[in-house]
Amino acid sequence: MARGLAIVLALVCAGLVLGAAGANPIALASKVIQSTFGSSFGLQDVSLLVTPLILTGLAVAVALKVGAWNIGAEGQFYAGAFAATGIGLFIPGPTVVILPLMFVGGALCGVLWILIPTLARAYAGVSELITTLLLNFVGTLLAYYVSTGPWLDPGGHALGTTARVPHSVPEIWGDVHWGFPLAIMLTLVVAGVLNFTRWGYEVRLAGSNAQAALYAGIPFRRHLITVMLLSGAIAGIAGMLEVAGTVHRLQGGISNNFGYLGIMVAVLARGSAIGVLAGAALMAVILNSGIILQTQGINTSTVLAITGLILFFTAIGDELAHYRIVPIETAKK
Amino acid sequence: MSAATNTAAGRPPGTPPIVLLKGICKYFPGVVANQSIDLEVLSGEIHALLGENGAGKSTLMNILTGIYQPDAGEIIVDGYAKAFASPVEAIAAGIGMVHQHFKLVHAFTVAENIHLGWGETPARISAQALEVRTAELASALNLAVKPDARVEDLSTGEQQRVEILRVLARRARLLILDEPTAVLTPSEARELFKALREFVSRGNAVVFISHKLDEVLEISDRITVLRGGRKVATEETGNCTHKSLAKLMVGHEIVLNDLRGRAAGAALLSPQAVLSLHEVSAHDDLGNVALNGVSLEVRGGEILGIAGVAGNGQKELSQVLTGMRPVASGRIEVGEKDFTGKSAEQFAAFGVGHIPEDRLHSGLAPALSVTDNAVMREYKKPPVSVGSWFRPRAATALAETIAAAASVAVPDFGMPVRNLSGGNQQRLVGRREMRIAGKGLIAAYPSRGLDVGAINTMMRYFVELRDAGCAVVLISEELEELLNLSDRIAVMFHGRIMGIVDGTSTDIEEIGLLMGGKPTTNPPLSVAAN
Repeated sequence: MARGLAIVLALVCAGLVLGAAGANPIALASKVIQSTFGSSFGLQDVSLLVTPLILTGLAVAVALKVGAWNIGAEGQFYAGAFAATGIGLFIPGPTVVILPLMFVGGALCGVLWILIPTLARAYAGVSELITTLLLNFVGTLLAYYVSTGPWLDPGGHALGTTARVPHSVPEIWGDVHWGFPLAIMLTLVVAGVLNFTRWGYEVRLAGSNAQAALYAGIPFRRHLITVMLLSGAIAGIAGMLEVAGTVHRLQGGISNNFGYLGIMVAVLARGSAIGVLAGAALMAVILNSGIILQTQGINTSTVLAITGLILFFTAIGDELAHYRIVPIETAKK
Repeated sequence: MSAATNTAAGRPPGTPPIVLLKGICKYFPGVVANQSIDLEVLSGEIHALLGENGAGKSTLMNILTGIYQPDAGEIIVDGYAKAFASPVEAIAAGIGMVHQHFKLVHAFTVAENIHLGWGETPARISAQALEVRTAELASALNLAVKPDARVEDLSTGEQQRVEILRVLARRARLLILDEPTAVLTPSEARELFKALREFVSRGNAVVFISHKLDEVLEISDRITVLRGGRKVATEETGNCTHKSLAKLMVGHEIVLNDLRGRAAGAALLSPQAVLSLHEVSAHDDLGNVALNGVSLEVRGGEILGIAGVAGNGQKELSQVLTGMRPVASGRIEVGEKDFTGKSAEQFAAFGVGHIPEDRLHSGLAPALSVTDNAVMREYKKPPVSVGSWFRPRAATALAETIAAAASVAVPDFGMPVRNLSGGNQQRLVGRREMRIAGKGLIAAYPSRGLDVGAINTMMRYFVELRDAGCAVVLISEELEELLNLSDRIAVMFHGRIMGIVDGTSTDIEEIGLLMGGKPTTNPPLSVAAN
């Protein structure tokens, strides 16, 4: 109920904004729906958007399982993209060798990016909220720097991007590459490990109550470190796939805020790894609608405002859906 | 009216009760917290509200003080119907409550706490003037406090007095106390009772929430018993006995008595100690010395009671005995092996169960499911785990077994364990720990916050374990409970053991003296180290 109401309210507000911007909301809405679900291109675009969102969402959700807030998926995404690009551009070799190398390199660089925050949290109690967030700026600027400086495409005329990486993730359907099923599989594997292994049980217990973990004899610190590093690796893989599957180059802004949107996805998923899939799908549809609106001549700020509104209402609606409305008799004066 | 009129108030005929509750109903999703409750509180009386956990006492008082709104029913104050949207409105009408967990600002002085959030506090006033005002209030209301002391430096008893003063200063005529003696020493409790008597003798009234029968019988004029959200009875205290009240509370008679007698075939006292401490010292979380050269030993088949006012090292003792807190010096032996520095896991693996003091914070993960919590001690073993695989179905089956043994009805094993009542959580933890407690069990305040029925269940668990040859350490603040169960009682004061007395020959007075830090004239029984 609350969720449905939230979507209706969001659409009404979006309509009002569009109307104020001088467009016809009804015509635009049908256009958006048609272009998203009515064409294979639309569905392909959504699938391309959903892949990194699943992974960054999963990265944040996994860290939450052990009680840590990884706000730094954005930075780890850039780190993964950076490593993958470097390997792809500068190590010669056949794709069968280099592509797995890019995958591993991306994951490792994601791990590297979260290593310091992890150790600082585990051994000195430094809040990972701040350290992971700050490293985002370092990651973003690093990608900008190499793509406009040392790695700038020598032959190309495009501004601020590296040369095309000669190795790419094979495609399965139109533009959709194997990263999409891989992301889904990774999510299922992580969900399975958390629910069906002893290690997963220990992680859930440690993340839920560190004091109880001590009581049950579970090494909280070791699990915290492992899971945070895993979180970084997953975000790094997201960056690698974005380079090797979708964009094929490293450029500033390649992350499209996927790292931050992953926080949103994880929150919508309410701590469930499977829920990440649904949250990422919703987010992807919203993002794609924004892109379609831009092609219809709505300016970027309006689109951003609408996207924000929809997210805002969805989040509130989702929260409210966990309450029940009970009529109360007002006390008589 | 006979018991009520024997107070000094001397109500003229026709005086309306201070508070009259009529037909109060309050429903929470799936729970009837209060159903058509009537309650009458007269001026000049101390009215006890008695009931098991979850009987609806706190809900009813939260409605009276404006924290909850009733779903049906009326609140009539001095003959006028009222509705309180918040505690501020309730206190303005003269109804104030002192909660079980004090709501004081620790970093503030007593004077500041008294004047905080009070309309009558002058907008601009110096610290000295505040203290003078506080001192005047304290002497007018006959409650001795130190106006310039910081609350964090006060004992719990003193903090409670500050809370009461804060409510009374706002001219409360009805004072509601939620389990006020839970945190007090016997002598502090007596002082409190004197202050309450004095307060009602001026025509005021007190509602006294408790589940301790003794003190209810001692202090109250009338007793209202709630059970399962309904009022069962209101009785003159003079007509009540332990037995009749316990019967009203739980619906059947409960007998608290000496449980030291062994059943036929019970395990004999083991020749060697299962658990022993030799001159053990340890620090608390802030690095202060919490245990100071403690030596004791517990044999298989005996219950060692630990008495003392809360905060004298009992928590740290329970943690040291279960490997959860490192020792600063001294030696721990478990099963005659050196366990100094061993982890909590190793203690549990050896067969030492632990019912921790704050079950919600260390014994359970409140947000995880009942199943996840129930298997916390056995998840490493088959059937819950096979190799490194965790089997949710086997885990639920084990959780069902534990819940059935604990007689806890769980509607959904996937729901967060925090949705269970405190008593049910405790029973579940108790049963879970008993399953692993092959050698020993450390129970810290197992009856805290439980009702008579649940306490008796816990006590039976301990007897069962003792008769099976297990070494039981029972830390409690309920002297009666300790006297009923313990073979020996060690009394703690300021991190030391003041003495270890024999459970059969000691009495409350002797233990009370030791709790206050006064060594008894007769030397305590062997302090076990040798």
